[in-house]
Formats: sequence, C-alpha cells, structure tokens
Amino acid sequence: MTSLLSRSTTVLKATIAGLLSLMALSLPTFAAERVIIASTGGAYDKALQAAWFDPFTKATGIEVVTVAATNAEMRAKAAAMVKTGNVSWDLYLDGEIQAASKAHREVTEDLTDFCRQFAGREDLSANACSAGGALLQSTATLLAYRIGEAGEPVPETWADMWDTEKFPGERAFPNFDDPWRVMAAALLADGVKRDELFPLDIDRALAKLEQIRPSVSLWWKTGDQSVQGFRNREYSLGQIWLTRAKAMHNEGLPIAWSYNASFLVGDRIALLKGAPHRENALKLMAFWLNSPQAQAKACEVLSCTPPSSEAIAMMSDEARKTMPQGDDVRDYVIIPDAEWINANAAMMLQRWNEWIR
Amino acid sequence: MTRSLASLSSSPSFRRSSSARFYSPNASLALVTPLIAALLAGFLYPVARLIALSFSGGTLSHYRRIFAEPLHLDVLFSTIEVAFVVTVASLLLGFPVAYLMARLSRGLAMAVAACVFIPLWTSVLVRSYAWVVLLQRNGIINKLLIDTGVTEWPLKLIYTEGAVILAMTHVLMPFMILPIYSALRALPPDYVRAARNLGAGPIRAFVAVTLPLSLPGVFAGSIMCFVLALGFYITPALVGGPGSMLMATLIGQQTTVLLDWPFAAALSTVLLAVTLLFVLLFRRMLSLSKGLNSVY
Repeated sequence: MTSLLSRSTTVLKATIAGLLSLMALSLPTFAAERVIIASTGGAYDKALQAAWFDPFTKATGIEVVTVAATNAEMRAKAAAMVKTGNVSWDLYLDGEIQAASKAHREVTEDLTDFCRQFAGREDLSANACSAGGALLQSTATLLAYRIGEAGEPVPETWADMWDTEKFPGERAFPNFDDPWRVMAAALLADGVKRDELFPLDIDRALAKLEQIRPSVSLWWKTGDQSVQGFRNREYSLGQIWLTRAKAMHNEGLPIAWSYNASFLVGDRIALLKGAPHRENALKLMAFWLNSPQAQAKACEVLSCTPPSSEAIAMMSDEARKTMPQGDDVRDYVIIPDAEWINANAAMMLQRWNEWIR
Repeated sequence: MTRSLASLSSSPSFRRSSSARFYSPNASLALVTPLIAALLAGFLYPVARLIALSFSGGTLSHYRRIFAEPLHLDVLFSTIEVAFVVTVASLLLGFPVAYLMARLSRGLAMAVAACVFIPLWTSVLVRSYAWVVLLQRNGIINKLLIDTGVTEWPLKLIYTEGAVILAMTHVLMPFMILPIYSALRALPPDYVRAARNLGAGPIRAFVAVTLPLSLPGVFAGSIMCFVLALGFYITPALVGGPGSMLMATLIGQQTTVLLDWPFAAALSTVLLAVTLLFVLLFRRMLSLSKGLNSVY
C-alpha cells in the first residue's frame, strides 16, 4: 500500500511538475528551481529519495522530480527525446556498460569537463566520473545457492555451478537480452583465466552452456522472476543479482552467495543533451559524488558499493560484509570490458538468440 | 470488420438503422473528416515514418540482414504458427460461448457477456500475471494435480510454449466471441424454425443454416485474433520461456537494448507486410468460396 501511495505521489508530483513547467514558459524564474530525473522506481527510488534527493533539496532549494521507468524504457525514451528535440528529462540512470556505448554518447552530454573537479579526490574510485555519466553505485551479479545441511560442500566458483554431481539440483541463469554475464560465467567454468576473459570466445561459451542446459530450470527475465523462482524452490543454484539475493536473505530464506564468482557492474547518472535544467542537474550529480553520507545511506539500504571509500567506511559492519569491495575486487571480482561488450552487443545477442531458442 | 458490419446492416433486422442515405454525400464526408484526419496523423504518418526509417541510408541492407540470418525467419514462422494455433483455439472455445449468449434470455445473456467483457477490460498485464500465479511450480494447478494424485512431482507448466498459447487464447478470446455473437444475434430465429419445420434435426439445422450464416462473424473474429496475436509482446514475455521467442520480442530487443532503430523498423515492416498479406489472403479465399458472398 505504501508503495502504491508513493507511486501515486510520484505521478502527482510529475503531473504538477509538468503543469509548473508549462507555467515556466511564461515565468522563466520558476524553471531554475527543479531538476527531473528518471530512475527505475520502487525501493530503489525510495532509497535515493531519502539519502540523496531530500538532503539536496534542503541544501539548495531545488526540487527533485522523479519519473519511473525500466532501464530499457529510459534508454529508448531518452534517445527519442533527443532525436525529436523535445527533451523533458534532465538525468536518467543507465548501466555502466551501456553508458560507454556510442548510442549512449549520442544522446547524453560529454561530462569530461564536469569530471575535472573530482580528479584529485582520493576517496573516489577511478571510474567515479566519466564522459558517459557519474557513477551512482555498483552491484554484483553472482552465484547464489540454497544452503544445504551442515557439512555439505558449498559452491564457490562457476566450475561448481557446472558440476552437477557434486552439487545436484536445478540451475537458474538470466536471459534479459544482455548475455555477456552468462557467457563469461561459462568460460570461467571452462577454465579460462579471469584476466584472459575478454574478448569472449562465444563458440566455447555456448558449447559449455550446452552442457548445463538440461539442468537449467529457470531463465529469468526480471529480477522478480529470480526471487519468485527461489521461493518456489525452482532452482538451488543461480546466477542472480546480489541486491535480490540480499533481499531474500533478509526475508529469512536459506540463501548464501559467493564473491568468488561475481561480476561487478555499476549504474551511471547520465545528463541528456539539451536538458531543460542543465545547471541544476550538474549540481545534483556533484552533490552525490561530494556527499559520502548520502552514498552510505542509500547503499546501506540497497546493499550496493558506493563510489567513495569514505562512504564505505561510514556503513555498518553488517552492510559491508554483504558488499563486494576493496580486496574482493582485487582478488576475484570481474570487471567487464565495456568497450568490447558494446562493440559486440549485436553479434552476442544474435548468437544468444540462435542458441537459446 | 467494417465489411462484416456492412453485411450485418443489410440483413433485415438492421435495415431500418441504415441512416447514411439521409445525409448528402458532402455532409457525410464532413462527418468522417475528423476520423480520417486522426487516422492520417496518428496512424498513417507514423507508419510511413517507420517504413522510411527501415530504408535509412538509402539501402536495403537491413532487409538483407533479416533474410541472411535464419534466426529472423525462424522466429517469424513460429510467430505465425503460434498466432494460428491461438486463433483456432479461440474459435473452438469461443463459438459455443457466443452461441450460448445469442440464445439465452436477455438477463442471462448479460451475465455471460459480463464474463466476456470484464476480462477484456482488465489489463493484459494483470491477466498474464494471473496465469503466472496459476501455472507456477507451487501454483494452484500444480497443487491441485498433486493433491488429487495425478502427479507426484510438480509439472513444468510455466515458461513453456503451451503456457504462451493458453494465456494468449485467454486474452484474445473476447475478440472472437463478440463478432460471432453479433452475427448470430442478427440471424432471425425464423430461419432455424423453417429448417426444423422442413424436417431437419437440430444438428442438421445448425450445420446447414446457423453455421454458414455465422461465418461472417467467424471470419471477422478469426482475422482479428490472428492479427493481434502476430504482434503479442507482454504475455509471451511473462509466461513464455526462452524457446517461445516471437517477432515482437526481437523488435523489442532492437528498440530498447541495442537502440538499432532502423533494423527494428525493418523487422516491424516485415511483420506488417506479413500481416497485410494474411488479411488479403483471407479476403481472397472468401471471395473465391461460393455461398459466402454475404461476407463481402
């Protein structure tokens, strides 16, 4: 009920903002007082609202209006807005990999100049601000499993995911039109070294996937399917998002995960070309990167990794334990080669579609 | 659809309602102008832009790519296959409902009509999620099957092609029932009585009189179901597995994931062309078959 309420207030706010922006045509001074950001809505929005937007409004007097959409919708809508020259959003969130693509750069403003102010900041990770957008947070896609009896072996690597004798039970993999994670997991299971993963050997990956295919009971398309499938005991080992695994853990389900087999991917805040409230949008982005408190508060709820190490230090021990960071990243976590993935996205999807049918 | 309505209006019970002849041609034209303008601006113009986009760069390269990679044609054929199966299933399940609605007394017919209309007015998303709840591993159907001892283990019902066909049939059935119902309603009961009077049994009367005269509604409903099924997106995405990939899924991938809009436009144009081809084929088949002239 609360989410319904909050959604209707979001809609209401957007409507009011729309009406106000109509008024703004005649009263240009009003236009400077708000900024419009598209994000994926729900719990994600609520956490960002509390940790980031509300403190920002308090500090600057600029109202933050959010618009809810899925990542794919945002991407398509942003492209349509810029192509038709009718831009009504200022900022939107997109995946780290997409944010490095040519299509993304055509739609968003190059932030290289904006990023210079963060060059000397030691607490921020090296990729915290780049031409395609400012880093909001990073989360992992990893191997999660149902906890068995005490003393039973525990899966740790992707090779374990493929070992159906040692770890019986059904498997789950994502199938949401972005297949590199599954292919990369297959290659790691097949013995490819972490630093030799890219460029992905698609033939070898699909051959390895063919071996596990009979055991895969769920090819999930939405995060919700991966959660519902685990609740229904549809799979006992799955490649899923850490945020969802954490949510199920909080629900009391017998789930655990391995950082040894995780891929770290971030979300970026991108500025649309021709954004109506460009200056406010830049202020909002800078506020995020400059405010470890805001990052810590949001990631505490969402179990994400914030861009600032100071923010990590502010988080509770419990949250830090369930978050890929520091040594994990150096020792196991795989950071994808965004450039290669973008250059080959169409080819990978084509091969994937042919294989999965 | 408009044709079948026109044929209905020529049947005796509708004749009094044909008011077109009361207005001068100019007045009629003035009355339809807003609709035509809306269609031009809201439908024809975007479709023309879409087709133009598919030829962007002045080449046929996007079309060549569609035909060069077997995946696209495979998916197109399985889309047509699914649409066909869904249409036949809707017809087999929908005809008896329409027949019942046409024969019941007004009050009961209203009750049945409500059962048809309320799902029609419910969001496709909600209806598709209802199937997820019913078909999932610990869902109602599996529980029932296990409790009654039909199976020992839960069956794999969701994320299959069968689930897609089932859910699509459910979503599209009202589009089959309503045209058949209107065709049957327009059928004067005297015809069946005359057939019975001349010695035909109930089955013979149905086959010789009711069924042929209901065909305009059957064809209108079939073409609507078929055309709508060709473009289905939400239902297969929710209840289908990786094997049930339809054209709309491919177009969606190109539009939102790869942002390759010219190629998405080319795929859409091919789907549109195939849809029009089927509509034309339907009409051609009808005009060739004798005894069905009343349809057109």
